Amino acid sequence: MVTHPREQSDTRSARRLNEPRPAAVVASDEGVPVEVGGVAVACVREEWRVVDRWWTEEPARRRYFEVLLESGRNAVVFADGERGGWFAQSA
Amino acid sequence: MVACLTIPAFALRAPLRRRPDLTGKPVALAPAPGAQPHLGPCTGAAERAGIRPGMRLSEALATCPELELVEQDPAEVEEAWEQILRRLEGAGVAVEPVEPGCVYFETRGIERLAGDLEAALRRALDAVGPEWKPRVGAASRRFAALAAATVAPPGRTVVVDDGETRLFLEPLPLDLLPLGPERREELAELGVKRLGELARLPGAAVTDRLGSDGAEAWRLARGDDGEGVEPRRPPSELVESLSFPEPIANELTLGRAIAALVERLLARPERAGRAPRQLALSAKLVGGGSWRSSLTLREPTAEPDRLRLALAPRLAELPAPTAELRLELGELTDSPGTQAELVRPRGSRLRERLREGLRQVRAASGVDAVCTVVEVAPWSRIPESRAILVPRDD
Repeated sequence: MVTHPREQSDTRSARRLNEPRPAAVVASDEGVPVEVGGVAVACVREEWRVVDRWWTEEPARRRYFEVLLESGRNAVVFADGERGGWFAQSA
Repeated sequence: MVACLTIPAFALRAPLRRRPDLTGKPVALAPAPGAQPHLGPCTGAAERAGIRPGMRLSEALATCPELELVEQDPAEVEEAWEQILRRLEGAGVAVEPVEPGCVYFETRGIERLAGDLEAALRRALDAVGPEWKPRVGAASRRFAALAAATVAPPGRTVVVDDGETRLFLEPLPLDLLPLGPERREELAELGVKRLGELARLPGAAVTDRLGSDGAEAWRLARGDDGEGVEPRRPPSELVESLSFPEPIANELTLGRAIAALVERLLARPERAGRAPRQLALSAKLVGGGSWRSSLTLREPTAEPDRLRLALAPRLAELPAPTAELRLELGELTDSPGTQAELVRPRGSRLRERLREGLRQVRAASGVDAVCTVVEVAPWSRIPESRAILVPRDD
């Protein structure tokens, strides 16, 4: 069916830039990534933590890693301490 | 001199030609499907009954219950307009069409053909034909020519001498300026209702208050527009159409119909190896009315896949099932040509191109494809809280 143009325009709304995207990460027992998206991690370049908005209903507790993959690509992933799971994001 | 020929309410007059039963009746152009319910242009009989263009449909029908509405017919409008342009070109006028019902041309060329300026303008009016009631204005600048055409009586000409341009523009209303209703309202609140009142204001103050739109309006009001006329190249077009046994709304089927039309057009011997730069897709809709969408390719191409890709997003704009699909290839050119422009476009022309570029991006990638990044908390330690993407409307 042809979509009515008005229906298309009604879906327009502001959205966040740089939203975290779910990432397939395999981590060591210490919680350090060893594989991201099926590619082995060559080295961890940097690690930092973000604990913020703890006074709100949406607190953030994240452990970020900037890693170099064996493919030569750089990636930033974090383990979400609140929701669980791993996410990729441009830091 | 620059001349401007206008045919007011062209979008209504073109479809009305096929409705002689409506002669003398209050008639207005119906709102476009899916758009705000505001009326388009209306006939003199409708105006006498209290109808105004832009009026809300409900208000108009309450004011004049006998009001007849004519559906928008962009394909008919485009076709009628193209015939007029070709008649003008046949009379030796090198035209720069702005929109259906408004065209500019340089008088110098046809003055030699016709003898003098008056005869040249009369030649253009005759080429259009009295049934359209065209008006012509001539002046040293485009905007003054447009203003002169606006005040000219039907079938007549108004010529503004070079030294009298500012004097001529002074008492005219601000409606002639390319300003949005908000800007016009803002000026009206400041007591500025005539071009002369705007022209007398300090330019810096106008720019400060109204931005670049205001600055351009101020220049126009002073008769300072410097843009000349860029005549179009008379088009050589190829057209193919496909009628369906029953109306089609399915995009997949319509996509296949486009592929068939592209194939047929590219196989036409008149094309002679040339590639089109312009494409126009039009459709006859079920229940009357029509739809038309034109696009200009970044580079001319005769590759069927690229043509199909360029046309496919337009199918989503079809407002109703289609009884007939028609494809035109325009501006056929031998060489793609990648030469850059010698003079960079400025002002309204540049903004128009930018808008067209953004429209193409939206058509290809969706309405949310063009956004502005707005920083909301750049200091935040959480990356996704620093900025948001806001879709642009322009």
